[in-house]
Amino acid sequence: MLYTLILLLGGVSSYFGPWWTIAPVCFVSCFFLPRKPVPAFWTSAFASATLWIGYSIYLHLGAQTDLTSRVAGIFTAGLPALADVPAIALVSIIAACVAGLIGGFSGLAGVKISQLTRPPRG
Amino acid sequence: MRLIKHLWPLFFALLLIYTFNRSWGVIPPLGKLFNPFVGFLQNAERNPDTGNGEVALEGLHGKVTVWYDDNAVPHIFAQNDDDLYFAQGYVIAKDRLWQMEFYTRVAAGRLTEVVGPGALEYDRYNRRIGMARTAAAIADRLKNDTVANRILEAYAAGVNAYIRQLSDKDLPVEYKLLNYKPEPWSSYKSILMLMNMRHTLNGGSNDSRITNVLAKYGPDVVAGLFPDYPAIESPIVPQGTPWAFSPVAIPAVPDTVTAPPDTGLFAFAVPEPHPEVGSNNWAVSGSKSATGLPILANDPHLQLTLPSIWYQMQLSSPNVNVYGVALPGTPAIIIGFNKDIAWGVTNTGSDVMDFYRVRFRDSTLNAYWHDGAWKPTIRYTESYRMKDGSQVLDTLFYTHQGPIVYHKKQSTNYAPNIPVGYAMRWVANETDGADVLTFYYLNRATNYEDYRKALTYFTAPAQNFVFSSNGGDIAIVSNGKLPLKWREQGKFLLDGTLAAHDWQGWIPREQNPGVKNPPRGFVSSANQFPADTTYPYYLDWRFAHSSRAIRINERLDAMVRATADSLRMLQNDNFNVDARRILPRLLVSLALDDSIRHSAEYDALERWNYRNDADAVGATIFESWLGDLLRGVWGDEFPASERLLYPSLDRTFELINHEPGAKWFDRVDTPDTVENIDDIICSSFKTAMAELRERFGEISARNWAWSNVKQTRIMHLVPNFTSFGRTNVMNGGGSGVVNATSGKHGPSWRMVVQLDTDWPVAYGLYPGGQSGNPGSKYYDNMIDRWAAGQLDTLLFMKHADEQSGRLLRRILLTPKDR
Repeated sequence: MLYTLILLLGGVSSYFGPWWTIAPVCFVSCFFLPRKPVPAFWTSAFASATLWIGYSIYLHLGAQTDLTSRVAGIFTAGLPALADVPAIALVSIIAACVAGLIGGFSGLAGVKISQLTRPPRG
Repeated sequence: MRLIKHLWPLFFALLLIYTFNRSWGVIPPLGKLFNPFVGFLQNAERNPDTGNGEVALEGLHGKVTVWYDDNAVPHIFAQNDDDLYFAQGYVIAKDRLWQMEFYTRVAAGRLTEVVGPGALEYDRYNRRIGMARTAAAIADRLKNDTVANRILEAYAAGVNAYIRQLSDKDLPVEYKLLNYKPEPWSSYKSILMLMNMRHTLNGGSNDSRITNVLAKYGPDVVAGLFPDYPAIESPIVPQGTPWAFSPVAIPAVPDTVTAPPDTGLFAFAVPEPHPEVGSNNWAVSGSKSATGLPILANDPHLQLTLPSIWYQMQLSSPNVNVYGVALPGTPAIIIGFNKDIAWGVTNTGSDVMDFYRVRFRDSTLNAYWHDGAWKPTIRYTESYRMKDGSQVLDTLFYTHQGPIVYHKKQSTNYAPNIPVGYAMRWVANETDGADVLTFYYLNRATNYEDYRKALTYFTAPAQNFVFSSNGGDIAIVSNGKLPLKWREQGKFLLDGTLAAHDWQGWIPREQNPGVKNPPRGFVSSANQFPADTTYPYYLDWRFAHSSRAIRINERLDAMVRATADSLRMLQNDNFNVDARRILPRLLVSLALDDSIRHSAEYDALERWNYRNDADAVGATIFESWLGDLLRGVWGDEFPASERLLYPSLDRTFELINHEPGAKWFDRVDTPDTVENIDDIICSSFKTAMAELRERFGEISARNWAWSNVKQTRIMHLVPNFTSFGRTNVMNGGGSGVVNATSGKHGPSWRMVVQLDTDWPVAYGLYPGGQSGNPGSKYYDNMIDRWAAGQLDTLLFMKHADEQSGRLLRRILLTPKDR
């Protein structure tokens, strides 16, 4: 549920918003759909990473020119060890790290602040 | 405590956003870059050939139709000239915005703002030679020129209309990688683009190095080794052409011709001229062509880069219909053709950069001695903004000659010493004229008279403008401001205190070297001497080596019933005139050494047909050896450490062929032995072959193929973006052959135009693609065809409604109501 919500909301709002739009999406989703902190973190992280990787692969496959390799080449220029790794894999890993970290901690923040404003009964 | 426990993820998330939002050193902002919704993947084009569209733009007066053909060349049809240049700016910006902005930052010395302090010295140099200051003065002056101002303003408005449309995700990928945004365009920036070209074509000097030779060896050696005209030359104006003018008085040579520097003054070296930056152009008359009408060809040689320096387009309004290449950032077509005429350019390369030793009154540098009086310097403070926002300040002084590119500050110990630097007089800093109008009027020219009138607007650096018309005329003129000099003025560093050393005005423009419809039936240029020694004015003591010119003129001389394809083949001619001139003599010496004579290298060289073809092993051996041979002959007397200029190839070849006993062949660093010419030839050959073996292994048809050794590469303008470039472009050529493709330089646009009384047929192509976007299939799509020596047939439309299967999509630009 949370995963799908972030994916949908994140997809729509990322289309219009700045690059960090996924952060408020995870925050708000976790704020209103309370989870335990750890699952909130991982669900947000995975959903964010899925969104970025999925759209990256979609754009990569649809392109007529392999811009992914050209851009990845700038990062791997001094690192021959990475020369044989497919560029889209490298790009996906970086995208997953960035989106996962930001999404995960934003989701966690949403849960934590939700706990703060709505203290657990009892 | 509870607050911290609940709030820390929020702060940490914000910190992550901050971290990934900015660049850290050379690491770009990873968040922005790798988010597929706004990052680089937005630049990966799906299918650029689809999508007719309509865009409403503020500033347009009427509708403009832009057709894109199957090579992504835009064909712009506007209803008036303002809209035409507006649309030109808009359309070029769409494909090349980052590139044009980058060039203006280079010319203005503002790279530090986007790449950081690593570019400071480069920026400082570009500022200190005065380019930005001059561009600003020109732009300011052109505000009063109704025609020039109008096209520059319209163009800028078009570029800005595009910039205003851009959202973050639409930015060219270089902005995303370097993390900055485009600034608004202006006519000043278009002038900066032209300044950048002035610098590329004329921004080097040998004056200091030959002055060092003069100081070390004296005038006799200079006269003997550095003559003012080569032994073998084929000048642009054919020998024997009468000069149809009475020359103005030529200034007398003063008693003192140079003011050499004190030791170590040149802490900051002026770049040497780039011999690879040259060009070919020619036109054959109807008497030589199969059609009975002229055919014209041009291929300017520049550094090969991606995005390409040129952009193909057709510009059409009720007043003009022209096709050719434009410089991104500048209005009009620079090299091209219309229904009636075609034109092209090569660099003239005359001496238009001189240095004056300045005598300052004191260490404040506030005044300098000139013509018997102390005169005030002008002082400017240049400020450089770094990427992080910090500033560096630099002081720059001007005399009436120009900027003091380098001044050495003395320690303030009250000693009566006079600080000395050199002021630079450089034609690129002339602020009169309106180069852009030359192209504006050429675009509209219909005959020879229009062409000559258009040329009068051009200032610098002088270009050999070749011309042909369907009226049957062909012509070439070395056009631009040429200083009126005494013989050898500026061959050496000059004395800034002497009025006689100032430039003495200009050669009257109509007396610049040029020729119309010569009896030989063709005109041509390859950066060689514009005229032989009968020309009354001094232009320079050295022009580009004559090998390309000799070959072009030989071929054109022999040509009958020439077609566009004959000229295309000449553009791709790989014959090595230098090898023909010198190799037979060199082989005689090599054969004296048994170990060489029996080697595979000698065998390959002897069997070589003098063609720098892609698979030629002989070309590899000859070209690789030439440098070692020159070092063998001159390296001892003219060591690099003393910054001495080598005599020219022409002089060296003459010495080898005709003066084998010259003392220069004996090495001065071996006092006990006397080397002769054979020793130098054989030892340099062995050195060169050892080096080739070390780099490419034992000789083999594959490893030693010329294309494999030459390694032509076309790299992105940002040196670090190696993966945006193309390496291993396999082709023949060489800096001294007509197909002037070397490692990093080469024909940056090849064009052949066959004029017709009805409608011209034209061919052209450049080593790159129309799009500046590395994520477009049109980024580098012409490179392979270029390397193979092919040309595309250019689609020159008669009107916007013309049907052609090559037209893929149409964009309609419409005025937007405010």
